[in-house]
Amino acid sequence: MIARVAWLLARPGTAGAAASLLPVTAFAIVTSLLLVVLGGAQSFWTWPDEIGVTYQALAVIALVLLVVPLASLGGAAARLSARRRDDRLATLRLLGATPATVSELAVLESVVLAAAGAVAGVVLYFLLVPLVALIPFRGEALGVDGVLLGVPALAAVFGGVVLLAAASAVLGLRQVVISPLGVRTKQDAPKLHWLRIVLGIAVIALAFLMMSVLQVAGSVMIILGMLGAAFGGTIAVLNLIGPWVIRLVAQSQARRAKTPARLLAARSVLESPKAAWRQVSGVAMTSFMAVFAGTGIALLDSFGEAGDVESQQLFADIRTGILITVIGSFLMVASSVGVNQAAGILDRGELYRSLDMLGMPTPTMDAARRRAVMSPLRITALGSAVTAAVVMLPLTGAAIIVAPLSLAVIAGVLAAGIGVVWLGLLATKPMLERAAAGA
Amino acid sequence: MSSFVIEASGLSKSFGQTHALSGVDLQVRTGEAIAIMGASGSGKTTLLHCLAGITRPDAGTVAFQSGAGRVDVTALGERERSRLRREAYGFVFQQGLLIPELTAVENVALALMLNGMPRARAEEYGRGWLGALGLAGMEDRRIGQLSGGQAQRVAIARAQVTGASVVFADEPTGALDSATSAEVMQALLDSTTGQGRTLVVVTHDADVAGRCTRIVDMRDGRIVGERVPGVAA
Ligand SMILES: Nc1ncnc2c1ncn2[C@@H]1O[C@H](COP(=O)(O)OP(=O)(O)O)[C@@H](O)[C@H]1O
Ligand SMILES: [Mg+2]
Repeated sequence: MIARVAWLLARPGTAGAAASLLPVTAFAIVTSLLLVVLGGAQSFWTWPDEIGVTYQALAVIALVLLVVPLASLGGAAARLSARRRDDRLATLRLLGATPATVSELAVLESVVLAAAGAVAGVVLYFLLVPLVALIPFRGEALGVDGVLLGVPALAAVFGGVVLLAAASAVLGLRQVVISPLGVRTKQDAPKLHWLRIVLGIAVIALAFLMMSVLQVAGSVMIILGMLGAAFGGTIAVLNLIGPWVIRLVAQSQARRAKTPARLLAARSVLESPKAAWRQVSGVAMTSFMAVFAGTGIALLDSFGEAGDVESQQLFADIRTGILITVIGSFLMVASSVGVNQAAGILDRGELYRSLDMLGMPTPTMDAARRRAVMSPLRITALGSAVTAAVVMLPLTGAAIIVAPLSLAVIAGVLAAGIGVVWLGLLATKPMLERAAAGA
Repeated sequence: MSSFVIEASGLSKSFGQTHALSGVDLQVRTGEAIAIMGASGSGKTTLLHCLAGITRPDAGTVAFQSGAGRVDVTALGERERSRLRREAYGFVFQQGLLIPELTAVENVALALMLNGMPRARAEEYGRGWLGALGLAGMEDRRIGQLSGGQAQRVAIARAQVTGASVVFADEPTGALDSATSAEVMQALLDSTTGQGRTLVVVTHDADVAGRCTRIVDMRDGRIVGERVPGVAA
């Protein structure tokens, strides 16, 4: 049985090749980004002096910020790899494999794909090391020795990525019914509850309180700790409210839609507001961070003029750090969108082909899926930015008065984020065209 | 004016070494229901796709005759053929291939909206067709909430709602049991030849073919025979 089943899973095919290559690529991106981030951060721990501690605290914040988009990219990769073999799982059941055998094999395959991707990611990381080594902190480049991770760290990341894939495959399998007649998603996802809103408002209020206390707190570490807690809390809130708001907006869009593309986009968001949110939630981070960053830069600039050389150096480095964190998170979100879109197109290949036969223009299909990503993205980006501005209200207000430039920075960062995601969509357009043409 | 709605001559199409079609001539009369039969791989789908302007043949021509005149389909570009398909033709596939996130009526209305009809009117027409096909009360269901036969009737409504002069169906009953299959075929005939329109249907099912006005048999990319149902070949 196992031999026959393993042969079936290993059997090559054109769809099979793409189905395997995509999760491998996604896992490779996850692994290399994670290693680059860790490598850059570790160099901060080589500074034993007092100000080194400040750098380490800042690095922790940057890592926390990057964990969310990275996790969502990792989740996308894992879900993709779990979903890709749905059809074959149904075939296995048809051949008489027990559900347990099928589940074990599904997890095993996820692990193999993740391991292959993680190896490729490590290679990619080694290629990126010389570039990361050029980034200047405290007046000099980090250097290859500073950013090169040791074997234990590499092994830990490798293990972590593989574990994530396995866990995600197990969770993914729980959401589908694998019967001999096919793989179906279990009936209707749980409804989004109004309680989310109440919870959300409560946590925002709490974060706001904490930020107010922060105005009078002295120690840098306390400030950083509270900042971290406020970040974490707010992100948790965004995750509660995000899908709910996206569903509300999509419902109204579906009612008012006048063109096929708008109707399709709204309906596909409504199909799973949670999935729509997951796809763009990394931008919630980014937008949220952009407001923090914009405010921070503005206030630091006004302090910086009076400061000594060492604190001017610190402010410059914080700016570098913010920039790197923002760029990193953008790349992760764009990768997630690329991965999710590629998976979606593969899943719906036959449907796209049939729509092309009916005479639906490919630009209409493209507009529909673009809108289905970009509309939740706009809601998310603006919503998160406003939320951040509210949480930081006293600081934001000060920044607007002291340095209106900060607003320009925020707008620029948001536009860049949206642009990068749009590029992620553009990158998968040829795939859509191929699917529609049936090639 | 010719009484042929589609005239194909000398159609050939190869995929690499496979000769899917080798010199096929076929004339489809206005208002007839023509069944294309043959073993799997004999080129039925390829022929249907060439007739419908989905696939461009390597050689040969397809002409479409409408009230507006005669069009050489094979000479049209990708865009014009796409437009011809959504304005003049309707399609029914084996799997229905409806859009799962839309409701039944939205799936039907979409065909009209693609031709520029405002949504409210398009949905009104859609409801009308769904009702005529026995799906009254199911307009707002999503496709996953319909049975195979019901979904196929939604697909028929979608193929018909634009007033298509020719409907192409590729094994429309291939995934249905025989009782449902007979019902769906009846619905397909009622909404096409029953209204003076033309039906081209690819099928394996002798019962389905038996309800058509003419049967064309294919083998190895060629038409090897033609018969009228009920009369021995
Ligand atoms: N897109 C394609 N690429 C390669 N070969 C194809 C393609 N479409 C059809 N064929 C081949 O052409 C022949 C006829 O196919 P088809 O028209 O689908 O037959 P039928 O519908 O009668 O089963 C088959 O041998 C098939 O494998
Ligand atoms: Mg066929």
